[in-house]
This record gives sequence, C-alpha cells and structure tokens, in this order.
Amino acid sequence: MYFWLNRFMHDIEVQNLVKTFREKGKVITAVDGISFSVRKGEIFGLLGPNGAGKSTTINMLTGLLEKDSGTVKILGFEPEKNWEFVKNSSNVATAYSWLSDVLSIRQNLRVYARLYGVKNHEQKINELLELFELKDIGDRKIIRLSSGENTRAVLCKGLINSPKVLFLDECTVGLDPDIADKTRSIIKGYQQKNDCTILFTSHYMYEVEELCDRIAFMSDGKIISIDTSSNLKKLIKKHTVEIAVKKDVKLLKEFLKTEGVDIIFEKDNGIVFEVTTEKDKMYKIISKIFHKGFMLSNLHVKGPTLDDIFIKIARRK
Amino acid sequence: MKIHRINALLLKYYYITINRVDRLFDIIYWPVLDLFIWGFTALYIQKLSDVNVLSMLMGAVILWVFVWRASQDIAVFVLEDFWSRNLYHLFTSPVRLSEHLVSIIIIGFLRALATFALMWAVGMVFYAFNILDISPLLISFSVLLLTIFGWAIGLFVAAFIFRFGQRIQVMAWSVTFLLSPFACVFYPLSALPEWAARIASVIPATYVFEALRAMINGIPVNQAGLLYSLISSIILFVAMAFFLQQSFIKSKKTGLLAKGA
Repeated sequence: MYFWLNRFMHDIEVQNLVKTFREKGKVITAVDGISFSVRKGEIFGLLGPNGAGKSTTINMLTGLLEKDSGTVKILGFEPEKNWEFVKNSSNVATAYSWLSDVLSIRQNLRVYARLYGVKNHEQKINELLELFELKDIGDRKIIRLSSGENTRAVLCKGLINSPKVLFLDECTVGLDPDIADKTRSIIKGYQQKNDCTILFTSHYMYEVEELCDRIAFMSDGKIISIDTSSNLKKLIKKHTVEIAVKKDVKLLKEFLKTEGVDIIFEKDNGIVFEVTTEKDKMYKIISKIFHKGFMLSNLHVKGPTLDDIFIKIARRK
Repeated sequence: MKIHRINALLLKYYYITINRVDRLFDIIYWPVLDLFIWGFTALYIQKLSDVNVLSMLMGAVILWVFVWRASQDIAVFVLEDFWSRNLYHLFTSPVRLSEHLVSIIIIGFLRALATFALMWAVGMVFYAFNILDISPLLISFSVLLLTIFGWAIGLFVAAFIFRFGQRIQVMAWSVTFLLSPFACVFYPLSALPEWAARIASVIPATYVFEALRAMINGIPVNQAGLLYSLISSIILFVAMAFFLQQSFIKSKKTGLLAKGA
C-alpha cells in the first residue's frame, strides 16, 4: 500500500513558475509560467536549446535564484519555509561550477559533509571516492584536476548527503565515453537503490534517453511537451533509410521518385532516403523494393531520435 | 544558525589559509615587512626627536592590523568563492548568509590575532617594544573597537561584491587604504588640514590612535572620543550587515549569484 501511495507522490512540484530579468531597460522572460511535477523515484529530464530556461529553472529550484512568481515544492515543502529540511534532503551537481579550487577533493568533501551534517563522513567520503574512481587522487587540489576528474568530484559532492532529490545540470560534460557510461550507471544505481528523485539536464540526447523516465522539452522559457522519450519521438514522423544495392541504382532511384520519397543523397551503389511518414508506409516501401527484385547488399533504418526533436525545436526558435 | 555549518566553513577557510601562499603572506609577510619599515623609520626619527616615536609608530602599525585584516579577510574570502566558481555549491547547500559571514568574521579575527602575536614577537625581539606595556586595558579595548570597525568596512565591500560582482574586486584592497590617511594612524588629528580633520573626526578609528598617542605621551585619554568610536563602530557594523543582506537578496533576484557562481 505504502509503495503504491509513494508512486503517486510528487517530490518536485512546480506551478506557474516565472522569472524575468531586466537588461538595458528591456524585460527578458527567462522562464514563462512553467508547471511540471516529478514523481518520487523518477528521473526527469529537462531538455532544450541554449537559453531555453533549463538552468534558470534549476537555479530557482535550488534556491540560488529568486522567482518572480509561482510555487515550488520539494518533497512536499516550499524551500523558503522549510529551508533546513529541503536543503539537507537535496543536492546539486553541475559541471559548470567547481568545488573550492585551492582545496583537495577530500578537503572539499570534508567541508560539504560537515555542512550537510553527514555522520561517519570519512567512511562516506572513501566510499564515494572509490565509486567514482578518484581514490588515488583524493588529495589532489581541484585546480590540478582534468575537467572529467573535476566533474566526478562534483558528483561526489552531489551524493555526499545521500539526497532524496538530486539536481544534475549537465553533470557529464567533459567525461570520456567510458567514464560517462560508468557515471550514468552509478547515477541509475544510486537512484534505484535509494528511490531518489532526479531532475536531469544534458545536451547528450542518448544519455537523456537512457536515463530519464520522462522528458520535458523547453523552448523560450516554456515547456513545449512532457512525455516519455518513446512518445516524444512519435512527434517526428521521419525515418531515414540507407539502402545499398549491388546494381540498378538508377532504377531504384526512379522507383523511389514514383513513390514520392525524398532522396537525401546518393553514394556508391547506394541511396540514403528519408521517409517523412509513419512507420507503416516505410515498411511498405521497403517491402516493394524487395518485391521489385532489387538485390540489396545493405539496409539500415534509423527512426527519429531525441536529437531530431531537439533540432526541430531549436530551429523553430 | 547552526554551529556545525559554521565549523564546516571555518575548516574550509583554514584549508584555504594553509593551501594558498597569498593567504599566508597576508598574515606573515606584509605585516612583518610593514613593521620593519616603520620600525627602522621610527628608530631614525627617534634620534632627531625627544618624542617616543618608536612606541607611537610601532603601536599604530600593530593595531592597524586589526582594521586591515578584519576588513580585507571578509572581502577576500567572499571573493575566493567567486574566483573558484564555488558560490553555486555553497549557496545551494544548507548554508545561510549569516553563517557564511560569522565564519569569515571568526577566521578573520583569528588570522588578525595570529598576525598580532607575530608582530608583538618581532617588536619585542628587534625593537624591544612591547605593545602591552602601553596599557593592556587600552590595547584590548582598541583591538575590539578596531576589529568591529574593520568588520564594518569588510561587510561594506562584500555587499558591493555581491551587488556588482568581481568587477569591483579592487575595493577589497583599496577601501582600507583609502581610509588610512584620515584615520590618523601615524599622526595626530591636529596635524591634518581642516577639511581632512573634518573627515577624520567622524572615522571611529581616529579616536583609538589618538588615545594610543595620549597614553604614550602621558596625557589624558579622550574617553568621550573612545565612547563615540565604540558606538559608531557598532552602528556601522549593524548597518553594513543589513546592507550586505539586502545586496545578497538583490543578487538572488538579478541572477548575479547564479552567474557569479
């Protein structure tokens, strides 16, 4: 019963959130009345082009920026009214802000562990350094770290208080693919083990797709759409098909023209074409190609990706 | 306000002090160098005059440390967080502005005491000058007063940093020096031209250095001046703390805190 009730609880609730800035006498609306809620134990992605309002939103949720209007509730409480509880139960990691650069990783973590009132903090610090493969360089100053090491150090700080709500703002920027993959596994593992709620922003679409249960697309300070990645991808009716034939490229080209298909480009013994339609029509065309007796040497179908949605939104802007 | 968070920040500033050569130079190199320059100058002038120049100059240099350190440490430690882009993590944690300031004030005072102890030792060894011989009561009172005044200046500069960001960081080093000619650190109020004396007479530190010279010369101390100095320093401190709080709120509204972070 408790488990099911938990599923319906929202750890992050945002209602009509607005933030404007004044710049040279002009009022710029950075966040324009957005509303969303994140369920307990959910990883929620916030996506959008630069200037969409993602970081402004996170800054308001974490108390670094004052909102103009709207309400924010974290774990059921307004942060301004329940400062201690909300701050001690949440944490933030971003690649764009460092820990104190003249301190070592371990010294920084000691400071933050004390700030959050973490018990047995040396043990916790050792566990985190081990987890993020930083144990050997734990005594190295932040200023001497590579950007990937710095990002991992920030993630250690983000988990120092075992937060119930975690804000991750572009937290895998600068990591090499292997470490980025491990980091995503650690985040996912931590979330599953602790039933933690995560608000996640990233420019890497595959990462968002891999991690997030639901995604909100932002543009010009507004939320365009909120859904799962598979439902969002349905917004784009586009499939790209790459076909290589052993011969008769010309005939294939003519056939595709009669089917009303846009050919993106041709290459040696092959054609890459785009079908701007539902899956069904694409399968019909491929099936006809087989029936016409074309000898295929390669066939590769690529469905719409979150990148396509991102680009579409960015260009519309 | 939570003690464990103040302790955490004190630990952080302790780490900065031991890790960063500049912050060690602040409490060792510059004050000791200052003491040597003024000490040798005083020894030279002493030969030309009957006045106890050595005690006056050395006492002034040692006491000025409290204004200097108290003001500069608040501003520089706030700047440290701007420089290392660490404000984001600091102010998304449970830390409150008041805890941040109390920790900086405490570390600044401890650093000033360390400098004071070092200068006292250097004064004793190289010039046979013991500042506590002047009057332990007056020196203790002066330390308290100058520290409060220094904190007020530091809060004023920190408020500007939170309001306008790093572009006005030069204030961290310049405001105390701007005040020093008018605070009558090395010369009496009567030595100033009338326009400068008017400015000096409203600066709380002026009456401390006047009292120091009076005590050394064996003339009565202006107690009303010291009382004015104490009251005005406390009022300034409270006013600047309020100003800083307002600047911090403003920086959260304008987004400077998030951008600077």
